[in-house]
Order: sequence, then C-alpha cells, then structure tokens
Amino acid sequence: MSLAALAGRLRRSELSPGEAVEHYLARIDAHDADVNSYITVLADEALAEAELRERDPEDSRGPLWGVPVAVKDVIDVAGAVTTCGSFVTEGAAAAERDAATVAGLRRAGAIILGKLNTHEFAYGAMTTSPRFGPGRNPWAPERIVGGSSGGSGAAAAARLAAGTLGTDTAGSVRIPAAFNGVTGLRPSTGRVSNRGVFPVSYSFDAVGPLAPSAEDCALLLGATAGHNAEDASTADVPVPDYAGGLPGGVSGLRVGVVRSLLEGDIDARIAAAVGGGIDELSGLGARVTDVEIPGVEHFGTIQQAMQFSDATQVHQATLQTNLDAYGPDVRARLLTGLFVPSTAYAAGQRARRVAHERMREVFGEFDLLCAPTMPVLPPRIGDDTVELNGTTILYRLTIIPYNSPWSLVGLPVLSVPCGFVEGLPVAMALIGWRFAEELVLRAGHAYQQVTDWHSRVPEVTPTD
Amino acid sequence: MSGTAPSLEHLRAVAALQGVHPSDEDLAAVQGFLGVLLPAFSELDTLSPPGTVPAAMFVPTDQP
Repeated sequence: MSLAALAGRLRRSELSPGEAVEHYLARIDAHDADVNSYITVLADEALAEAELRERDPEDSRGPLWGVPVAVKDVIDVAGAVTTCGSFVTEGAAAAERDAATVAGLRRAGAIILGKLNTHEFAYGAMTTSPRFGPGRNPWAPERIVGGSSGGSGAAAAARLAAGTLGTDTAGSVRIPAAFNGVTGLRPSTGRVSNRGVFPVSYSFDAVGPLAPSAEDCALLLGATAGHNAEDASTADVPVPDYAGGLPGGVSGLRVGVVRSLLEGDIDARIAAAVGGGIDELSGLGARVTDVEIPGVEHFGTIQQAMQFSDATQVHQATLQTNLDAYGPDVRARLLTGLFVPSTAYAAGQRARRVAHERMREVFGEFDLLCAPTMPVLPPRIGDDTVELNGTTILYRLTIIPYNSPWSLVGLPVLSVPCGFVEGLPVAMALIGWRFAEELVLRAGHAYQQVTDWHSRVPEVTPTD
Repeated sequence: MSGTAPSLEHLRAVAALQGVHPSDEDLAAVQGFLGVLLPAFSELDTLSPPGTVPAAMFVPTDQP
C-alpha cells in the first residue's frame, strides 16, 4: 500500500494510528533482519505517539495523520542518538530536539518509527556501515542498497515504513531510490531545512523523501519544505500545494532528453528501460526532444572540488582526535580533503557559476530534463566494482556523471522506477529548474498513472 | 595548480601541519584519490571566462 493510500484509510477511520504503527512494527520484526534497514527502532515511542494522535480532534488532523515514517540516521529525532552509522559517535548523547524536517513530519501528523541505516556520515554510496553492517537490497540481498540513504530506500521498498526521509549531496536519495525500486526526490538546495541534520557539504546537502510513489513524495515534501528562520540555507520562496498539483499531467510540457547520458557509459539494458519511460511521457503528450548541455562532463569535477573540502572541514577536529574510528573508505575521503588546494575550491566556485548560467539557458527552452538515474546495477556487497557492457569498472566512478550535474546547480530531481534488469529495479530521473518540485512530481505522477513499476514489492519482504 | 599526486612524505608533513596523523596505508589511499582529482582540478581554471564571480552559497529565487 502506498503512503497516500494509507493516509486515506487513516483519514476514513478504516484503521487507527495505533494499528498502523503495530502493522509496521510487526513487519520490521519479521523482515528487517533480511535487509538491515533500521539502526534504531523507536517502538515504544511510536506506540505512545500513536495514542496521542488518536486523541487529535478530527478538524486538527494533518495530511500525514497517523502515518508511520522513518528517517535516515543523520537526521535528529529528539530522544534518540544520531549515530551517522559510525563508531565515531559511540557514547554520544541523544538529540535534544527534532530536526526541522522531523518537526514538520510530526506537525503533519506523522509518527516516527525509527532511524535508518546510512553510509557512514552519509559520505559514500554503498551503505556498508562499519558499525551496523551493510544494508541488503530487498530485491537481491547479496547486493548493496546504494547510498548514502540506503536504509531509507530499502525500508521504503520493503514496506517497513510508509515513507522515509534521506539526504542527498551528490545522489544519496536518487541512487537508493533507483536501486530499491522506489520513488525518491532530491529537492532544490534550499527548499528543505537542514537544521538538525549532520552535514556532508553545506554547499550541496538536501533532505528528501523516498516512498513508493510520486504522490507519496509530494505529501512528505509538503510536510517538510519551507523557509526556516533558524537555517540560513533555506530559501524564502512560496511552498505550493504539491499534492494538489499532481493531476496536471505532462501534455505540452517540453521535455529534454540528455542524450549524452543515455548513450554514455551506461548498461544498454538500463538505457533501453529509460528509453521506454521517455516513450511513455511522449505518449502522454509531452513534447520530447534531445538536449545538449555544454560542459556537462565537467560538472562532477566542479562539485568534487568543493565537496571534498566542505566535508573535511566538518570533520577536521575529529580527524585530529579520533581518526581510527572512521571506516577506511570514509577516512580516506575525509583525509583527501586536507590536500585539495584552496585554488581548486575557488576555481570550483567560479565554474559553478558558469554551470548555473548554462543550466538556466537550458531551462529557458525546456520545462523538464530526463536522464537515467544510475547507469549500472547495484554491485554485490563487498565489491567496489560493477560490470558495464562486458567490462569491469569502479562503482564510484559511475555515479558522478549521472548525479552531480543536477546537485551542483541545486536542481530538484525525481527518480522514478521505470523497469527491471536481471530482476533489479532501474530508474529514470526527471529534473526541473530550481524550486520546480511541483513540476517534477506532476510528471512522475502522470507516468505512474500509466505504469506499475513503482508499486511492485520485493519477494523477500512480501506484503500481507 | 599542479596536477601531480604528492609523495607520501609530503602528504604526511601536510597532514601533520593540520594536526592529523594518518597511517601510510591511509596516505596511500589518499594518493590514489589525488592522482585522479588533481589533474581534473587543474582544468577548472579553463572553465570560467575572465570576470566570472564565484557562486558562493547561493539560494537564488530566479526563474529561467
């Protein structure tokens, strides 16, 4: 059942918040050992919160009233330790206050079920936490869940929460959404507050929802978006009614296909599935043509020039005092940031301006762009390589060209399931101009009205 | 901007200046990253025309 459908059943009193929480707790108990998506299950707290929700007067119930959700464990939930999936946080005190996004979920009536597995400090795309172990893909448990919001993707796919929140710096919502067969939205940078979220990079971080459908993501975004007076990184721009805007369809929208990514270093079977998705959009009335983005091949390098320094600066004090507590891959990445020249950071800042202007020109001619979310299938746990059209390449090198061009400029991206290859889900990305979340959600919703890829549930975690 | 990965000794000295003391194994991993990153970063200068101002921490509200 989708989050939106569950919210409807709760609203109609077909089940109570307590029954909804008990349903998900039972599923977590039965199935989470197979996917390892939860770090902390807040069972008692969720049941107590459900009791409180049941006392809410009908006229004060929000759009997520009684809906059980879970958040990535870099996002603060009052009373729980934010582990960031790391030994570095062993012995840390519980958060005293909810993150802004968690507070928003609660205001909308949602109930927090727990905290989800993550790549250590959200700084990697595997979710192989040295402290809590690897997340396991519900479609193929020997494979990774992607990351860094891997627990969020797996829990949403396995229906171990009605919806989840993740964070995305350079693909960390989109990649697990694609690998786990759910819908995921990286909002525009500045659309959703990062207050109470452990940062990767202040320049690029964005909190976003993962759930079965675009409609679900619209509801979760509606509860979390908006200016926050305590967070200077949030933009003071109006928040539309995302769920209300869904029925608009795609007829007449100008959709640009990023051909260089569809024909680049990509598994040909994934490209074919994305091509099928583009044909569906065309069949729904979108005006689909190819688009060329000058210099897009450099956009990943520009983001890295800034992201390495940003991330290392956050951790610098701990690198001095507790270096060995980090897992080897994150330790190496953080140490690398010590040696990125300041001139590279400055050059990256200038080049980012150029990238922004180029993308603005592109969106003068297009309403949406479309590209594959990821060019490869998830690697097996323990492997850092993937097969790509008969050759073996490093997994991490496949990520940047498909994800960084959009996060560099702070664009909203919706990853939508569009097929299966070897029994594993694959996805296409719908990209909008800044703060055009309503449009990417509308397009994703239109696509999901004529396809059912997003509603399939993995056999390892069957629904009742 | 140089595009060559520094030696382990150089990396160790620069890390120490910042109060960080990695193992040789860690520094070898760093060397691997820098071997790819520094040549790419050395081309960033060429991407911006003269006079381009930094993007900095921008939250523009503009439309296309």
